[in-house]
Amino acid sequence: MRQVLAIAQKDLRLLLRDKGEVFFTFVFPVILAVFFGFVFGGNSGNSRIELALVVESDARIAQGLAADLAADGAFEVIRRDTREAAIEDVRAGRVTAVVVLPASMQDGLDGLFAGGGIPIEAIVDPSRRAEAGLIQGKLNELAFRQFPRLMSDADGMKRVFARARASLAQAEGMSASQRLAASGMIAAGEMFTQSFAQDATATDPTKATLQAPAGTSTEGSTEEATEESTGTPAAATSDASIASSSAPAATRGWSPIAVRIEELPQRRQRPRSSFDVTFPQGLVWGLAGCIGAFASALVVERARGTLDRLRLAPIARWQLLGGKGLACFTVAMLVQLLLVGVAVVGFGSTVAQPLMLLVAFAASAVCFSGLAMLLAALCRTEAEANGAGRGAILILAMVGGGTIPLFFMPPFLRTISYGSPFRWAVTAIEGPFWRDLAVADQIVPITVLLGLGIGGFLLGARAAGRPLGRARSAT
Amino acid sequence: MLSAAKRGHKSCRRNGFQGLRAKRSKRVPSATLLSLRAIRKQFGPIAAVDGLWLDVAAGEVFGLLGPNGAGKSTTIAMATGLLVPDSGAVEILGLGSPSDPKVRAHLGLAPQEITLYGELTARENLVFFARLYGVRDPRRRVDELLARVELDGRANDRISTFSGGMKRRLNLAAALVHDPRVVLLDEPTAGVDPQSRARILELVRELAREGKTIVYTTHYMEEAAKVCDRVGIVDHGKMLDLGTVSELIGRHGGRTAVTVERDGAEERVLTLDPVGEVSRQLATGGVTGVRVERPDLETVFLSLTGRSLRE
Repeated sequence: MRQVLAIAQKDLRLLLRDKGEVFFTFVFPVILAVFFGFVFGGNSGNSRIELALVVESDARIAQGLAADLAADGAFEVIRRDTREAAIEDVRAGRVTAVVVLPASMQDGLDGLFAGGGIPIEAIVDPSRRAEAGLIQGKLNELAFRQFPRLMSDADGMKRVFARARASLAQAEGMSASQRLAASGMIAAGEMFTQSFAQDATATDPTKATLQAPAGTSTEGSTEEATEESTGTPAAATSDASIASSSAPAATRGWSPIAVRIEELPQRRQRPRSSFDVTFPQGLVWGLAGCIGAFASALVVERARGTLDRLRLAPIARWQLLGGKGLACFTVAMLVQLLLVGVAVVGFGSTVAQPLMLLVAFAASAVCFSGLAMLLAALCRTEAEANGAGRGAILILAMVGGGTIPLFFMPPFLRTISYGSPFRWAVTAIEGPFWRDLAVADQIVPITVLLGLGIGGFLLGARAAGRPLGRARSAT
Repeated sequence: MLSAAKRGHKSCRRNGFQGLRAKRSKRVPSATLLSLRAIRKQFGPIAAVDGLWLDVAAGEVFGLLGPNGAGKSTTIAMATGLLVPDSGAVEILGLGSPSDPKVRAHLGLAPQEITLYGELTARENLVFFARLYGVRDPRRRVDELLARVELDGRANDRISTFSGGMKRRLNLAAALVHDPRVVLLDEPTAGVDPQSRARILELVRELAREGKTIVYTTHYMEEAAKVCDRVGIVDHGKMLDLGTVSELIGRHGGRTAVTVERDGAEERVLTLDPVGEVSRQLATGGVTGVRVERPDLETVFLSLTGRSLRE
C-alpha cells in the first residue's frame, strides 16, 4: 500500500505544480458556476423582476393595477390565465413571483370602509426573498395609485358608502355619539368624492376619458378602460404620484390595501436558488478537468518512458494502476467538495442529504478515475490526449449538462445526455444536494457511475498499463 | 579491404558466433546473474532481436556495442521484463523471469530517455523511486546518491531546470536508488557534456569495484574499451561476437599498420609484430618518422559488419 500511496502522492504533486491543470480543475469550475449563477438570476438586483400576473377580478381597480404593473419599469410582466399556470412559471424559475388580483377585489373595494381592505396576493419563489419586499412595496404603491380613479367613480363610490352605512347600522356596541360621528364621516366622504370627480372631469381630459366608462357602467366596460389606461401610462403615473403621497396621510391607522405575500411551498425537485443548479454544472467542469489532466498525465508518462520505470519497480500491476486511480479519485473528490463548499459557504446553498452526497461524490470519482484510465489507453500520444481526448470530454460535458442545465434542454438533447457520464454525475449529485430524492431514486445514477468507472478502469488498465507478461520458455 | 571485412563477417557468423552459441548452451556459469537464451523480438517485418544469447557474470561490466537500431535497447527491455520476448527466455540471478516483481527488485535500469519527472525536484524524484522500491530510510539513501552523482547542491531544484548532463546523472542515480545487484545502463552518456560523461564513466567503474553486475550499451567504442570487461558486438539484432576488447581485436582487428617516413616518402607496413617491425625499420637507417596504428573496436566492427559503427 505504501507504493500505491507513493504513486498517488507523486501524481498529485505533479498536478498541483501544473498551473494550467490546477486552473482548469479547481478554479475554472468555480468561476463557471458563479458566472452561470448570476446569469440564471442568483443576484439580479439591477434587472427587472419577472412577474406572472393573474387577473381574476373584473373590477376597475384590478384593470388599472394590471396596467400599471405592466407599465412599471421595475417589472417584466407576463399575463397568465390561471394561478396554476403562473405558479408553474415560478417553479420553473421563469418568473420571480405570481401576482394575483383576486375576484374578491370588488368585495374588498365595496367594503373599503368596513372590511379588511382590497386584497392583492403575491406568491414568491422562496429563493428570491430579497425581491419579495420590493414586490410588496410596489404593489402597495401601485394600488394606492388607483384611488384617484376610484374616487372619481361616482357609482362605485356610492356602493362603497352605501355598504359603509349598512355596516354601521349593523354594528353593535357603538354609542349614539359614535354612530353620529361615523355617519358624518361617511357623508363627508361622499361629498368629497363627488367634488373630486367633478374637479377631475373639469381639469384633466385624460381623467375624463378614464371616467367615462365608469360613469356608464361598472361591469363589462373594464377591457375598454384597461386599454385606455395602458395606452396612456404617463398620465396614470402622474396621477398616481399625487395619490400615493396623499393617500397614506389620509388613511393613517387603516389600510385600504391588503397585500398578502406568500412563499411558494417547497416542493421536491425544485432548487432553492440558481446556485443549486449551477454548482453541479461547475462540478461537471471540475470532473472534466480532472479526467483530462489525469488521462493526459498517464499518456505523458507512457510517451516519456516514466511509466516503464514505474512498471520496472517491484510492484504488482494493480498497485501501479491503483496508485494512478487513487490520485485521480482524490482530486475528483477534492474538486467536488470544493465546489459544494463554495456553494454552501458563499452562496447559501444547503445540502439536503450530506451522507448520500458523499456517496454520490465517491461514485462520480470512481467513474471519472476509470474513464481517465480508458481515455489514456485510447490516446497514443500527448497531442491526442490534449486534442481529441479533451475535445471528447468537452462534448460529453456539454451534453451532460455542463453548459445548460438538463431541465432546460430540449427533449431530444435530454435523451442524448443519457450517453454522457457527466449527466449521471449531475443526476447523482443533485439528488442528495437539493432535490432531496429518496435513496431508492438515487441508486440508479450511482450504480451507473460505478459501472462506468469499473468498466473504464478494466478496459483502460488493459491497454494503459500493459502487463509485464511472462517470458515464454525457451524453445 | 571491404571485401575482406565482409569475408571476416561471414567467417565470424559461421565460426565465432555459432561456436559461441554452442559453448553457451553447454555451460551455465554458477555466477551468472543475467542470462538471455535465444531471445527474439519481432516488430512487424523487422526482427529487432534475433535469437540473442548472453550470459553476464557477477561483478562483470559487459558492454553491448552496436550502432543505433542494432537491437541494444530492445535487448535491455527484454532483460528487464519491459518487453516480452517472442521466443527465448530471460533469467535473472537464477531466480527466474523479470516478469516476477521479486526478481525485478534486483534490477536497476537507466533508460536511454530521461525517465524522470521534470516538475519534481531531484530529491523528490529519487525519494519517490526509493519509496516505490520500499527502501528503508529513503532520505538518507537519496542524500548519498545525490552526493555521489554530484547533484547534492541542486537537490531541491526542479530537474526541468537541469542541463542534459545533470539529468543523465540523476537518471543513473534513480537506477541505483534501491541498490540493485544488476544495473542496466542504456546509452548512459548519450548527449552529455564531457564533464558529465567523465563522471558517469567514473561512477560505472566505482560500481564495478563494488561488485555490481553492469550491462552497458553504447555506440561509443572508446567508452566500451574504457569500462567494459567484455564487449558484445551487436548488429541487426544478432550477437556477432563477444569477448574482451583484446580478444575481439585479436580475432577481428587484423594487423597493425606501421607507417615509416623516410626521405619525405611514407611506407605503410601491415604486421602482426609491430614492435619487431619498428625495430627492423629503424635498423635500416634514414627513418625520419614512425606511426603505429593499432586496430580498435571500430576496426573490429568494420571487420564484422562491413560498415562503420557510426553509420
